[in-house]
Amino acid sequence: MRQILDLLLRALLVLAGAALLTFTLLWHAPGDPATTIAVARYDSVVSQEIIAQIRAEAGLDAGYWTAFRHWVTPLLAGDLGNSAVSGRPIWPEMRTAMALTAPLALSGLLIGLGLSIPLAMLAVRHPGGWVDRGAVAVASLGAAMPAYWLALLLILLFAVKLLWLPAMGTGSARHLILPALTLGLGTAAALTRILRSALLEARGAPFLPALARRGVQRRERALSHIAPHAAIPVLTVAGLELAFLLEGTVMVEVIFARPGLGGFLIHAIQARDFPKVQAVVLLIALVFVVVNLLTDLLYQLVDPRIGESDA
Amino acid sequence: MRELRPVLIVAGLLAALALFGPALAPNAPNAIDIPNRLAAPGGQYPLGTDAMGRCILSRLLHGASWSLGLAFLVSTIGLVTGTLIGLSAAMGGRRIDWVVMRVTDIFLAFPDLVAAVVIAGVLGAGTGSLIFALSATGWMRYARVTRGIGLGLAKRGHVVQARLAGLSPAAIARWHYLPALAPSLTVVWTGMLARAILGISALGFLGFGVQPPTPEWGTMLLDARVHMRSTPLQMIWPGGAVVLCVLAINLTGDILRDALTERTEPA
Amino acid sequence: MLTVETLTVTRGGRTVLRDVNLTLAPGRTLAVLGQSGAGKSTLVASVLGLLRPDHGQVRWNGAPLPRGAAALVMQEPRAAFNPRLTLRRSVQEPLRARRLPDDPVRLARLCRGLELPPESLDRLPGQVSIGQAQRAGVLRALIAAPPLILFDEPLSALDAMTQKHTARMISELQREEGFAALVVTHDLGYAAAHADAIAVLRAGQIEETAETATFFAAPQSAYGRSLVEAAVSLGALGRQTAA
Repeated sequence: MRQILDLLLRALLVLAGAALLTFTLLWHAPGDPATTIAVARYDSVVSQEIIAQIRAEAGLDAGYWTAFRHWVTPLLAGDLGNSAVSGRPIWPEMRTAMALTAPLALSGLLIGLGLSIPLAMLAVRHPGGWVDRGAVAVASLGAAMPAYWLALLLILLFAVKLLWLPAMGTGSARHLILPALTLGLGTAAALTRILRSALLEARGAPFLPALARRGVQRRERALSHIAPHAAIPVLTVAGLELAFLLEGTVMVEVIFARPGLGGFLIHAIQARDFPKVQAVVLLIALVFVVVNLLTDLLYQLVDPRIGESDA
Repeated sequence: MRELRPVLIVAGLLAALALFGPALAPNAPNAIDIPNRLAAPGGQYPLGTDAMGRCILSRLLHGASWSLGLAFLVSTIGLVTGTLIGLSAAMGGRRIDWVVMRVTDIFLAFPDLVAAVVIAGVLGAGTGSLIFALSATGWMRYARVTRGIGLGLAKRGHVVQARLAGLSPAAIARWHYLPALAPSLTVVWTGMLARAILGISALGFLGFGVQPPTPEWGTMLLDARVHMRSTPLQMIWPGGAVVLCVLAINLTGDILRDALTERTEPA
Repeated sequence: MLTVETLTVTRGGRTVLRDVNLTLAPGRTLAVLGQSGAGKSTLVASVLGLLRPDHGQVRWNGAPLPRGAAALVMQEPRAAFNPRLTLRRSVQEPLRARRLPDDPVRLARLCRGLELPPESLDRLPGQVSIGQAQRAGVLRALIAAPPLILFDEPLSALDAMTQKHTARMISELQREEGFAALVVTHDLGYAAAHADAIAVLRAGQIEETAETATFFAAPQSAYGRSLVEAAVSLGALGRQTAA
């Protein structure tokens, strides 16, 4: 119980630190934000008065801590603030973007799991056999392949050469196939390696021969003894995989011109719309920290002996 | 240190490519030859030309010194800062350890490529921002590994003896920590070098990294993408170069890790 | 002169040492006797300044122990050496740390006293015998001529023959060098043969302190008596004292 509380407190601390870090980076960004906003809004040369007005309005004339408080206080109540460029609230726009990102990330994850689990299980049936070697080779290649290049290759094959699928945009479910495949193949490559070594390690556990002698059936052994044992390393890496998925989503959305969270972030950076950048970064950090917290908690459920020693 | 040999060989080959690649280029990387734009491989241009008639092979070879050279730089900056931070946590007592590890957690709260994109984008596109962005997001793994091994070392007899003798913390780190850390840090370094190559080209591809007309592999891919329909090969080369380098590094990293786990397992 | 005053150490809510008082003059040997878990290692760490006591203090001639004034000979000879450095490098570390010059004459004399072949110093810790490694450990403790040396179960990793021999060499060198020796051990035979005074440590507290002869003739505490009786019935005392 103490450990769970500890984990929760630590996650909160990390989130607070992440917010401060994000804010600090943007506060120290080069260029005068008020001028940037003015140019973005009025798209021409603007007078000093307008710039001063914008500066006051956005709370930019206050000091660092005041500005931080102005941002964080509404944030705690769930208000992400307004876009510096359009002046409109960020949340509705971001929700629309997320509605496009979620199915992509989810289908990418499903493809990743759907490919890696059978592949890893086939591979470990005969460790060192040709299936195993092939799986490792494909997974290594996949892990070395940048998401944007894989995406371009898929576009080249399916959209340009074969004309089976649309290359860009969001119109239909068919638009989702190539982005999801890009994300899924990358995820599958990473997961296969992890699953394979986890299964191998679990299979080599010293208690298994004893179970076999006691007459525990092969299927039974696999399900109730090997699987939980393999779950631990898989859980640890699940958090890291999420990073890959989030990164991959950003890249994939940009390449396939999907106006999801990734595209939202890149456009916000290009427009120097810092409130938007802050909102997206913090959301990603939130997802990341929560998933890491969940894996830590699951970890403790699976194996309560693992304590806080590893910080 | 025999286990380190494959890593050293591959790293040496890549370093050689970064250093001497440009010297092997048949043409100037930025020489524009409009009449020969988007030319097929052969003749004066072994791999053809891009949309401005620049020699793709030459740009690829010059790109090696940017893509790989920057990757070496960034991963080494991460190695040095991360190791120093990890050592300060391991050697500085419980309070410093706590603070340092929480700060590390905070930096780990962002997926590193996303963080690097934001930092590089916000600071303004360019090589300087790129180096800063990838270094700021690339030290945490070194710090964690160093700290983890370092805490174990602090209890070892020879470290206690060194402290008793009055050896300075720097000397203790140099003689008693770093040699024991070297193999594991090398494993982390191979992973981070691969990540740096991917990160540099990703940032270049997004337009936040090395700026055109500098021939960096990610930027080349960005150029090539537009002409995917007419000259798809142009897109294959820079991406393939990234994959080959990353694959080579990852494989040697795997070999090293396996060698290390085999060595420590019976103990 | 080493003085330990009202030393109290708690770890994780448990009192490991309670109100420990000890004195030790130069040239003398104090053996702290106790079973495992009595707090011997904590006592050593506190005297060396490796951990901060909750209460009390450790002084050398009335002042805090200066850096490098105390050396330690550890129980596990090989673990006490960096596996990647030659014994010579490790042995000279105390000199290097204080920027003292190497003293080949002294090194050769100490090597002779410890019967360490000089070429063994150019090997790695894993390449010499346990006995040689332990004598190299003593050599490292002595090299910078510290006024105080702590011995933490210095002989328990050695076999019986080597134990006796090593103990004699240490006593011999102590006569020449004049350092104060604080030995924590559970080995009554060793204490009887080589210590000037005995302190009995039990559950973190000193049960009694006495000159060695007095202690073995008439232990004052019940625990001290049981220790001596057990040792006598095993015949452990007679053999060692005779040697």
